[in-house]
Amino acid sequence: MTVQVQQEEWARPSAQALREMVDVGRGRISPRIFWDEAIYRLELERIFARCWIFVAHESQIPNPGDFLTTTIGEDGVIVSRANDGQVKVLLNACPHRGNRVCFAEAGNARRFTCNYHGWAFGRDGAFLGMPAEEIYEKTCPDFDKSELGLIQARVAGYKGLLFATFDPEAPTLDEFLGDYRWYLDVLLDNDEGGTEFLTGNIKSWIDCNWKVPAENFVGDSLHAQWTHNSGAVAMLGMGVGKAKQDSVYQANVNGHGMQFGFDMVGNAMTLGEPEVVQYIREREAIMAERLGKLRSRMVGAMGSATLFPNFSFLAGLNTVRTWNPRGPHRTELHTWVLVNKNAPDSIKEKYRKGVMRTFSPSGTLEMDDGENWEAATRTAAGVVARRQKLHYSLGLHSQVEHEELPGNVHQRKFNDSNQRAFYGRWLDLLCAETWSNLPEGR
Amino acid sequence: MSQAQAQNPADAIRDPRPPQFPPLPDRDLVFEVEQFLYREARLLDQERYEEWLGLMTEDIHYWMPGVQARFRNDTSSGPLIERMAFYDDDLLNLRRRVTRFMHATAWAEDPPTRACHIINNVEVELTDNAREYRVYSTFVNCRGRNEAEETWIAGRRTDLLRRDDAGALRLARREIHITQAVLLAKNLNVFL
Repeated sequence: MTVQVQQEEWARPSAQALREMVDVGRGRISPRIFWDEAIYRLELERIFARCWIFVAHESQIPNPGDFLTTTIGEDGVIVSRANDGQVKVLLNACPHRGNRVCFAEAGNARRFTCNYHGWAFGRDGAFLGMPAEEIYEKTCPDFDKSELGLIQARVAGYKGLLFATFDPEAPTLDEFLGDYRWYLDVLLDNDEGGTEFLTGNIKSWIDCNWKVPAENFVGDSLHAQWTHNSGAVAMLGMGVGKAKQDSVYQANVNGHGMQFGFDMVGNAMTLGEPEVVQYIREREAIMAERLGKLRSRMVGAMGSATLFPNFSFLAGLNTVRTWNPRGPHRTELHTWVLVNKNAPDSIKEKYRKGVMRTFSPSGTLEMDDGENWEAATRTAAGVVARRQKLHYSLGLHSQVEHEELPGNVHQRKFNDSNQRAFYGRWLDLLCAETWSNLPEGR
Repeated sequence: MSQAQAQNPADAIRDPRPPQFPPLPDRDLVFEVEQFLYREARLLDQERYEEWLGLMTEDIHYWMPGVQARFRNDTSSGPLIERMAFYDDDLLNLRRRVTRFMHATAWAEDPPTRACHIINNVEVELTDNAREYRVYSTFVNCRGRNEAEETWIAGRRTDLLRRDDAGALRLARREIHITQAVLLAKNLNVFL
């Protein structure tokens, strides 16, 4: 079943007010966007219920009946492999009384049966039946089983990653990603066998606005050597390596961004597993053949990335994570480990442990992020703090033309360009009532 | 399977059998193990990490698996060693974590986190190896941070303690199972 998109009646912040809060041209942003309930509600409506949101990796649900549950914004969904092999993304809310239909976070199921009154749905979301069906047939004048399936989202994939959107008007996933696919391929397509997620998913709560970590990953290379000095000392025996400013770029497309160098293994080294670095170096020629020489140098290089709005990754370190909103001041972080399917088991195992030790709640690097993100959110409760405009103007005129790098490309490592682009896209989406109102060329 | 066909648990518990526990070990050993665990907990509360590392055997495996909410009939519902974990460490990697804790730029440790490890339900079992004991315990861990932040984690542990050549107890294995499938905290800056 699909639903018509309707706008609920409530007081939305005006486009003018939002534009005053987010001045991308000057690089000034009001902390109100991290705190205000009305802005958050508008984000759920105009970003999370409209954009393509990452829901799963194909490898998590290889067989018919395999499923996992996750959220799109605050809407719970079941990602289910139907009998015909197609992936369905189903609203995890019974059309009868709204109860959650599937309570497990992953597994294999023949059907999804609501615990409340026993309404049952197939792997494809279609309504199968309920107890006392004959009474429904007799006494409900409009009883139509074909209308009682779980609400379905549109589903599309890109090289193993599965995305869904509840908006029938949204552009295709390929249009939504645009040239960002060129950058995603560094992570997803450096080996002919493609990628998979290792089993498991670490989840944790950070009491911060979801945008704070998303913007951190999209381009905040500045924080690394300060925030993560202790973690780098633990993992590398020294502080975060200092790359040459001019040999690092930031690129963004449609609000998706990546900041990266061409140092080949800078991120990978942080895992503290020399065999992983060796694995990447040994495959340089193969990677260059697939991706070209330039991109092959990005596979394990220092950098970070966010696919708008809430999917982030570190190439080479191979942590993949989503920042799931749980109110304006809480984020549920989901962390996975991505590996090349054809990588030796011993390398996969090193990635699993390496990600755990660096970018997980117990990770030597992530541990110092959470506190900053929580406090950067919390201060926005203050009247005077909210009047302050935060400083995002690093590298305001750093855009360059590059013969190989697609998208909006900015030179220099310490740079707020990707963060400005992230908030530019955020602002466009919040202000636009329909996709056709969105300005081109962000 | 319809509800009518489901097995009635009342049939299984009509004639309950008492559990078959192994024989209780010597009271002195239980006392020694309890004191080992309490002292270990105090070292952690006092951030005496060098001494804490000194309690580990060279082959320590310190494991805290990730937790997933799966259906009972899911054969992979239990903790699996190949699944993502909070801790899955050898001595080298415990040292790396301690290195960060002790470093002056570990910003999220300054002001210090105030930790209290409450250890309880200690049970000791003898094993086939005369120098090794299986130890079950439960814990509640409370962390206080900055002014008003408070985080609670509760769980169960299964340890393997080994007596070294000098006769002292050392920790050779630890399995930690917490109750939270979503860690309700921004980080896990604590050993459990």
